[in-house]
Amino acid sequence: MEAEKVGTTKHAKTAALLSIVPGLGQFYNRQFLKGIIFLVLAASFGIVFGDILNMGFWGLFTLGEIPKVDHSIFLLIDGIIALIVTVLGLGVYAFNLYDAHSNGKKRDLGLKLNSVREQYHNLIDGGFPYLMISPGFLLLIFVVIFPIIFVILLAFTNYDLYHSPPAKLVDWIGIQNFIDIFKIDIWRNTFFKVLGWTIVWTFGATTFQIALGMFLAIVVNQKDLKGKAIIRTILILPWAVPAFVSIMIFSGMFNETFGAINKMILPALGLDPQPWMTEANWTRLALILIQGWLGFPFIFAMVTGVLQSIPEDLYEAATVDGASIWQKFSKITLPLVLFATAPIMITQYTFNFNNFNVIFLFNNGGPAVPGQTAWGTDILISWIYRLTMTSAQYGKAAAITMILSFIIIAVALWQFRRTKSFQEEDMM
Amino acid sequence: MSMKKNKIIRLTLSYLVIAVMAVIVFYPLLWIIGSSFNPGNSLSGSTMFPENPTLAHYKHLFDADKSDYIIWYKNSLKISIITMVLTVASVALTAYSFSRYRFVGRKNGLITFLILQMIPNFAALIAIFVLANRTGLIDTHLGLILVYVGGQIPMNTYLMKGYLDTIPKELDESAKMDGAGHLRIFFQIVMPLAKPILAVVALFSFIAPFGDFILARILLRSEDKFTLLVGLYELVAKQFGNEFTKFAAGSVLIAIPIAALFLVFQRYFVSGLTAGGTKG
Amino acid sequence: MKKALSLFMMIMLVLGVLAACGPNREEGTSTENEGGNTAGEEPAKPEKLVVWEDTDKEVALEPAIEAFEKEYGIKVEYKTLGMADKIRDQLRLDGPAGNAPDVVTLPHDQIGQVVVEGLISEIEVDQEVLDTFTESSISAQMYDGKLYGLPKATETPVFIYNKALMEKAPETFDELYAFSKDFTKGDNYGFLALWDNYYFAHGIMGGNGAYVFKDENGALNRDDIGLNNEGAETGAAYIQQWYKEGLFPKGIIGESGGSAMDGLFNEGKVASVMNGPWAFQAMKDAGIDYGVAPLPTLPNGENVKTFMGVKGWHVTAFTENQYWATKLVEFLTNEESAKTRFETTGEIPPVKTLIEDPIIADNEAAKAVAVQSSYAIPMPNIPEMAEVWSPMASALQQIATQKSEPKAALDSAVDTIKKQIETNHAK
Repeated sequence: MEAEKVGTTKHAKTAALLSIVPGLGQFYNRQFLKGIIFLVLAASFGIVFGDILNMGFWGLFTLGEIPKVDHSIFLLIDGIIALIVTVLGLGVYAFNLYDAHSNGKKRDLGLKLNSVREQYHNLIDGGFPYLMISPGFLLLIFVVIFPIIFVILLAFTNYDLYHSPPAKLVDWIGIQNFIDIFKIDIWRNTFFKVLGWTIVWTFGATTFQIALGMFLAIVVNQKDLKGKAIIRTILILPWAVPAFVSIMIFSGMFNETFGAINKMILPALGLDPQPWMTEANWTRLALILIQGWLGFPFIFAMVTGVLQSIPEDLYEAATVDGASIWQKFSKITLPLVLFATAPIMITQYTFNFNNFNVIFLFNNGGPAVPGQTAWGTDILISWIYRLTMTSAQYGKAAAITMILSFIIIAVALWQFRRTKSFQEEDMM
Repeated sequence: MSMKKNKIIRLTLSYLVIAVMAVIVFYPLLWIIGSSFNPGNSLSGSTMFPENPTLAHYKHLFDADKSDYIIWYKNSLKISIITMVLTVASVALTAYSFSRYRFVGRKNGLITFLILQMIPNFAALIAIFVLANRTGLIDTHLGLILVYVGGQIPMNTYLMKGYLDTIPKELDESAKMDGAGHLRIFFQIVMPLAKPILAVVALFSFIAPFGDFILARILLRSEDKFTLLVGLYELVAKQFGNEFTKFAAGSVLIAIPIAALFLVFQRYFVSGLTAGGTKG
Repeated sequence: MKKALSLFMMIMLVLGVLAACGPNREEGTSTENEGGNTAGEEPAKPEKLVVWEDTDKEVALEPAIEAFEKEYGIKVEYKTLGMADKIRDQLRLDGPAGNAPDVVTLPHDQIGQVVVEGLISEIEVDQEVLDTFTESSISAQMYDGKLYGLPKATETPVFIYNKALMEKAPETFDELYAFSKDFTKGDNYGFLALWDNYYFAHGIMGGNGAYVFKDENGALNRDDIGLNNEGAETGAAYIQQWYKEGLFPKGIIGESGGSAMDGLFNEGKVASVMNGPWAFQAMKDAGIDYGVAPLPTLPNGENVKTFMGVKGWHVTAFTENQYWATKLVEFLTNEESAKTRFETTGEIPPVKTLIEDPIIADNEAAKAVAVQSSYAIPMPNIPEMAEVWSPMASALQQIATQKSEPKAALDSAVDTIKKQIETNHAK
C-alpha cells in the first residue's frame, strides 16, 4: 500500500485518519452530504445508545456490585445487547473508514469522484441485497445469535441456586464449570454415559427413519403399482399430526400393563409382553421405533420427489444390460437420492441429536437408573433440562450445552463440507 | 412367463408392505380418535372403539364457560397465519438476495445460521424471556411471532434459495435489459415461478407454531393468550388427574385442519422440496 | 496493518472507558428497599396491595379481599397464576424488574429455594396468631428457624375406596392385604398406590421409622439422612411385597403410572387407592360412589406418615409495605377467610377451630384429610430436597420391579443423594 503512494498525494491515508471522527474524511474528500450523514449517524448513535452502552459494558464486566440492587442476569443480558449494538455500530464505523479511504485512493489515482446522483444509484444497486436481507438478519441476531452469546457467557459464571439474584450476585469463574464436569465423579460418569446413548440414539433413530422412508418411497414409486396418490396420502399422515400429540399416544400404548402393545399386539403375534417403561434398553428400542414412525414421512416425501426426477431411460438402459433390481438400486437410485438429499439428511441427524420432545414426553427420560443424575434414556439435551429444572445448575447446564454444541457444529461442518465438495466435483 | 410371475410376487409383496405400514400409521391415530369419544378421563380406560361413545369432551371444549379452547384455537390460528405471512415475505426476500446478488457474507452466511441453529437453547430460554420483558413483548403474540419467524428463516431460506437457483438467470437479466427495476423483477418474474417452494415455505411456517409449546409457555402468561398446544399441554402435564380424553379431543381438532392442509399442498410439496434440496 | 492495529487499540480504549464508568449512584441506596417496618406504630397505608393467587381459587379470595378493603381501606388487586411453578418463575423475573406483587401463594416445599434466592421475606406475627394453626403446618412455613408465611391449606394422600366394591375402609393394612389378595384378579385390583414415587412411599417408610432429613429443633439437618435406616428397609420390603405378589401391576410404575391408576379406579375396576384430595373431582365426574378414610395402620401398628403439602401465603421480598402485606396475610388466613375457603374451594385450611367445626367434622372426605394430616409430616422444605426425589424414585423402581434388594437400592440412593447435595449445594 505504502509503495503505491510514493511521490503522489496521500489522500487515502489522510481521509481514513480523519474519518476516525466519522464524516471528517468524507468532508476532506469534499463529499459533504455523505459526510454529514456519517456525522449525524455517529452523533445520534452516541446520544441514543450512550447510556445503554455505558451501563451495558459496566454490567458485563462486573455482573453487578451490590446484591439485591444489581441483578446479575439482567445486567448480563443488557451487556449482550450493548455488545450487539456496538458491533453493529462498529460495522457502520468500519464502512465509514473504508469509504473515506477508498475515495481518497481514487483521488490519489486522479479519478473523478462520484456525484451525489451517482452515489444514490450506487447505493440503490449495491445496497439492494442488504436492504432485502436486513429485516431477516436483524431478527436472526436477536432470535439466534443473542441466545447463543448468552449461553456462552453463562457457561463461565457460577450461576446456580446459591448464586441467584436478587439475593446474591453471579460472578465470572472462568472455566471452572468445565473443570467440574470432568473432575467431579458424579458429573463425569454421567456425562460419558449420556453421551454414549446420545450417539447411539442419533444414529439409530435417524438411520432407521431414513431407511424406512427411502424404502417405502422406492416401493411406492414402482411404475406398475396402483393407487399411488392414496398410498402417499396415508404414508404422509404421521407428519401432519403434531409430534407432541403422537408421542403422548405412544406413551400410553407402551404402558406395560394396560397399553395396547403389551395387551393386544404382542400376544396376537405370539410374543411375550415386554418391560417397555421400566427397562432402559426396551425403552430405548421403543423410542427408536417411535422416532421412525414420526420421522419417516418427511424422508418419504423428499425421496419420492427425487425418484420422480430420475429419468426412466437410466433404468431401461440398466435393464438392457441385465442389471438386477439390487444393482439398479445400489448403482443408480441410492447414489442419486443421497446426492440430492444429503444436506437435509444431515439436518435430520442433528435434529435427533437434540430431539428433546420425544425423550421427555415419552417416559421423561426414564426409567430411573441408580447412581447418576441422568436417567436411562436421557440424551444430553434432556439431561441439561433436568439439571436446570431440578438442581438449578444453570452455569453447568450452559457449559454442557457448549460442549454439546461444539460436537454438533464440528460434525455438521465436516459433513456439509463433504457434501459440498462432493457436489462440485460430480455435478457442477 | 417367469417375468410375469416375478412381477406378481413383487407387486404382492409391495402391497403387503404398504398394508402393514398403513396399519402401523393408522393404529395410533385411530387410538386417539377413539379416546376422544370415550367417557372417563384417562388413557388406560379408553378403548379404540368405545362401547358407549360420547361427544362430552368435544362439548366441553366448545363450552366457553368451562374451557378456553376456542380462544386458544383463535390465538393459534392468528399466530400461525401471521407467522406464515412474515416468514414467507422475509424468506422470499432473503433467498432472492442469496440467489441473485453478491454481497458480503453471501458465501457462508446461510450455512453459518443453519449450523448456529443446531445449538440447543434451553439454557437461553431465560435470556429470551428477559429480552421480551425488556422490550415489552412479554405476554404478547407479537413477541412470540417474531421468535417463530426468526427461527424459521435459515432452513426455509436454504430450501428456497436452492429452488430459485434452478430458475434461469437469463430471465431476470433480459428483464433488466428491458429496464425493469429490482422489485419488479422480483415480484413479476421470479416469484410467480417460485410458487411451489412458496407453498412449501408457507406450509412449514404455518405448522411450526402449532408444534411448539416450550417457547409459547415461557413467553405467554395469561390464559386468554395461550396457544392451543400450551393449553392442551396443561391438560396432560399434570402428574395427577390429567385429562387425557379431553386432550385427545383437542388434538383431533388440531390434526384435522393440518392434515387437510398437507393433503392440499402435497403436489407442491414433492416438487418444491426436492428442487430446493437438490441444488443446495 | 497499521490501520488494523490502531483500530484495535481504539476499540480497546473505548471499551476500557466504558467499563470504567458504570452507574453513578449514591452510597446507601442499597438499604432503601429493605426498610422493614417492625412492630410498633402503624406505617402509612399504601394505596393498594397486589396478590397472586392459585388458578381457579379466586372464589375464596374475593370475599376475604372485600372484607380487608372494608376494614383497612386499602385496595387489593389480584391475579391468578398456576401455583405449581408459574408463581415462582414469574416472581423471579417480575420481582427484580419492578412489578412484583406484595403477597403470593406458594407450596411450602418451595420455601427453602425462594428464600435462598431472596424472593420472599421473613414475617413477624403474634404468637396468638400462630396458635390458631396446627403445629405441623406452621413448622412447614419455617426455614432455618425463621417464619416465612402463614398456612392457607393442607393436603395429604388419604384412603379412597369404591363403595360398590368395598363396604367400609379397613382398619389395618393387614386387613387390606388380605382383601386385596382375594379381590385382585385380571384387571381388577383390591388396592393400588404409586409406591414407586417417594411422595407416596414416604408414608409407608416413614411409618416404619425412616426420615429424609433429621429434624433438629425446627431445622432440618441435611447431613443426617434416614432413608436407608432399618425402618426404611422394612418399609421398602413391605412395598416390594405388594408388587412381588402381583397385587400392584407393573403398569402403574413410572411416569404414566398415575394416569393408569386413576383410569382404572374411575372405571370401577379398583376397590381402593391411596391418593390425594385432588383426585376427588374426576372420581365424581366418572360417577363413582367413593368413600374417604384415613389410611389404615401399618403392620407394626403405626399410622402411615404421609407427606403433607402446605400451601401458604407469603410476603414477597420486593414489597414496600411489609407491615400491611403481613396484615393482609394474617387476614387471608384468619378463621373466617379459612371457612370461606373451605366452603368455596374444598381446600382444607389447617386452622384448629375450623377442623373441629361441624362443616369439616361432618364432611367425610374433609375429615379424613384432616385426620390423616395429623399423622402426616410436612415435606422437607430445604432446597436439598430437590436432590432426593430422583434417586429415591430410581431406588423404589428397582425395588418395585425386584431388580434389587431394598437395602442395596436404598444404600445406593442415599449415596447418590449425598454426593449430589455435596456438589450442587456446596455453601
